[in-house]
Formats: sequence, structure tokens, C-alpha cells
Amino acid sequence: MPRTIIPFGPQHPVLPEPIHLKLVMQDEEIIEAIPAIGYVHRGLEKLTETKDFNQNVFIVERICGICSFKHALAYCQGMENLMDVEVPDRAEFLRVIWAELHKLHSHLLWLGLLADAFGFESLFMQVWRDREKIMDIMEETAGSRVIISTNQIGGVKRDINEDGLKKVVKVVDELYIDIKNVEKVFLDDYTVKHRLVGVGVLSKEDAFALGTVGPMARASGINEDLRTLGYAAYGKLEIEPIFETDGDSYARTKVRIREVFQSISLVKQAIDKIPEGEINVKVKGNPKGEVISRVEQPRGEALYYMRGNGTKNLDRLRVRTPTFANIPALLKILPGSQLADVPILILTIDPCISCTER
Amino acid sequence: MLENLVNISKGELVSFAQEMFNTKHRFITTTCVDNKDGTNDLIYHFDKEKVIKNVKLTINREETIPSISGIYFCAILVENEMQELFGIKIKGIVVDYGGHLLLSDDELNSPMSNQITIIKKEGGQKNA
Repeated sequence: MPRTIIPFGPQHPVLPEPIHLKLVMQDEEIIEAIPAIGYVHRGLEKLTETKDFNQNVFIVERICGICSFKHALAYCQGMENLMDVEVPDRAEFLRVIWAELHKLHSHLLWLGLLADAFGFESLFMQVWRDREKIMDIMEETAGSRVIISTNQIGGVKRDINEDGLKKVVKVVDELYIDIKNVEKVFLDDYTVKHRLVGVGVLSKEDAFALGTVGPMARASGINEDLRTLGYAAYGKLEIEPIFETDGDSYARTKVRIREVFQSISLVKQAIDKIPEGEINVKVKGNPKGEVISRVEQPRGEALYYMRGNGTKNLDRLRVRTPTFANIPALLKILPGSQLADVPILILTIDPCISCTER
Repeated sequence: MLENLVNISKGELVSFAQEMFNTKHRFITTTCVDNKDGTNDLIYHFDKEKVIKNVKLTINREETIPSISGIYFCAILVENEMQELFGIKIKGIVVDYGGHLLLSDDELNSPMSNQITIIKKEGGQKNA
């Protein structure tokens, strides 16, 4: 049977991000997938070399809107290690609260997109309506909905008062009930299961060999979550990686839904244990030397490498984002699948191309 | 100072990567740093059970290095990226985009290795 090549993206109704795939097809089956990126490459790593190391927080926050807080967190933690800065405890807890709120809105965004991809418009709107509660609480606590810009080298710029913390608890408690209601549709509905179960299976061995990270890896049985390293205040909270073993699109959905509940628990634990005190310290001098900082973002591990030369400008800031690590796994699960499953498969890696390209 | 740092030579790269793979280390990525003296540092990052291992290789910009994508397929993206953005010559990348993963024909060659001067225009001056 002759082969045809179907171009998929970079603009496509189901694609949230501009990635182009050349799909080599035989009838309805995908034989090979060849990716092309480069549509939103902004040269941000190069730009950081021309800015003051404090200004770079502003740049890394703009690598990606969805995980902007965690980009800033990775950068600030790295610089704090390099410059021997001890961050106040309260700031570490505030970082966890905002980081988990970011994870919540990222996973809810993804769940909505998934519902949209398999044609459940009402479910999509319901999940995004729930997500709005998180966006609103971020605006109330930080003054902005998406790029909240509360990190700085040495701590955080804003505090959350007692009433604010109570409000956050109230909102995440409501969210828990909301997501419990939609969880049944995502995990038990016949049609949804038909679209997800057994689709795009990635074995544990392949997930390891392909360097897969985050929920994508955990759905294939890799029991790793960098938050268990204990950075920020995570070391003072109870956290266990959530993982599944089937490695299919259903397992990836299940991991993300369970992680929503995990983030709600972490926000509440952090608020319960947050100490009084300062929220930042003054940083003196310029960075010198090399350092690596890793954090767990909603899509998985992000690695930051920084090299300072003793001046205000860095010699190098390198960012490896989770989607960059998960694209090889996408190329593995697409061959052998049906054309109709491509939107779901692309979505199940939760791609963020603006992160990938920087 | 990077934790668990090992310095290797170009000739040891493939065998070292193979050893990492055999000992169940996950490949994270490679960082390329322009030392601004005609050399580049390539730092390969591996992870095993959340412990990072860094492998550093310093090369002259004109040198060709072997690809590790035959061992770690996931290295294709970062190796293509280093080839395009830093002008590193890499032999044997399993999927070689030939300089067009990120850049188009009319883009700068190796933009991360060339110093770009940004000139601030006077107020009110229109673009030429």
C-alpha cells in the first residue's frame, strides 16, 4: 500500500502550541512521525547574557506562562546556592503555595484541553471554570493571574496575610469537591475510556531510555518526582510520587488527576505549617562559579545551569524544560497509532513548545 | 562547582555514555558553553535515582565530536540544537536536521556563539 505524508500543525484546532509533525501514513496507520519546531524560538538564553542577573528573573518567568513561577523558582534557587544566600523559612513555604497553585492551574488547563479534544465541550468548560478559581486566587495573592512574578533572588516579593491564607484554603477545598465530581467522567465514562485506554502505550523501559520526565514518566511506572528532593519547603511536607504502570493515555490522565488532589493537599499542608517571619533577604555581590538547579514543573523536571563570572552578567544560562525531554517519547508512541488518535497522543505529553524552544 | 563532575576527553565520550546507559542513568541533556576563547565546554547531565552526574568535555570549536544519540535516542534534539545554535560539529546524529530544527536559511549562523551587539537608537529615530 502506498504511503502518504500528512502535515499536522503548527496551526491545528486541537493543538495548543505550535509544533509541526510530518506523519508518514499507510492507510489510517502512522508509520513514522517527524517533528519540526522553531516557530516560537525567542533566544531567551542569549538575552539573559546581556542582562543583570537580577533582571533575569523577569526573563525566565516569560519562558512559559503556565509554569512561569517554577521557572523563576529554579533560577532563584540556583542563584541562591551559587551566592550562599539563605532564604527565610516563610519565603520557602510561600514558594510552595504558589508553585502548587501553578501546578493546579496547569493540570486543570490540560484536563480541559483533553476534554475538548475528545469532544466533551461541557466537561471542558466545567474544568476551565474550576481553573478560574485558582487564577482568581493568584490575582488576589500576587496581583496577577498568570505571570505572578513573586520570586526574587533571596526570597519572595509578597507575603500572604492570615485572611489571604484562609481564602486559599477555602478555594482549594471547593476545588477538591469540583474535581471529585468531574473525576468520574474522566476515569469512568465509557466513551472517554474508549479513547484513552490502551492508546499510546509507553513502556517503563522506553520511558527510561527516552529520558521521559514528569507525569508522562510516572504513568509508565517511573516512581520519580523531584519535589521529594526537599527543595523550598517540600522537605517539611508529606509527599509521595504518584505513579501508574499501564503507560497509556488513560494512565497519564489518571496521574494528572491524582496530582491535582496531591497539590491541593500540599497547599493545605504548607498553609498549616507556614511560620512567621521575614520573606526575603538582601543579596550582596555578584555570582561566580557554576551551579545546577532542578525543580519539578507541572510537566516534569526542569534543569537550569548557570555560570557566573563575578560580574553582574552571567556567562551562560541554560534551561532544559520538560517538554524538550518528552518529545522523543511522543515520537515513540505515534507510530502504530491511528490518525484519529494523534490529537489525544500529542495532548497526553502536555506539550509546551514555548518552554521547549525558549 | 558542579556536583559529581567528571572530566573526559572527546575519545571517551561514546564509551562513557554507553557506561551511563548500562548503569541505568537517565540522560537529562547537554549544556554547551562558549568559553569565548575558541573553545566550548560540553557538559552532559545524567541522573540516577535523583542524583545528578555531570560529565564535562572541552573542545575546540573546529573539532567534530561523536553523537551519543545511537545510545540515548533522546539526545537528538539537544545535539541538533547545539549544532545549530553553537556551530558544534557532531557526527552521526540519528536524526540530523542539517541545521533546520530551529533556524531557517536566512537566520544567523550559530547565533549563540556570535556576539550580537544591540545598538540603542536615539529617541524618535525611525527604523532604517
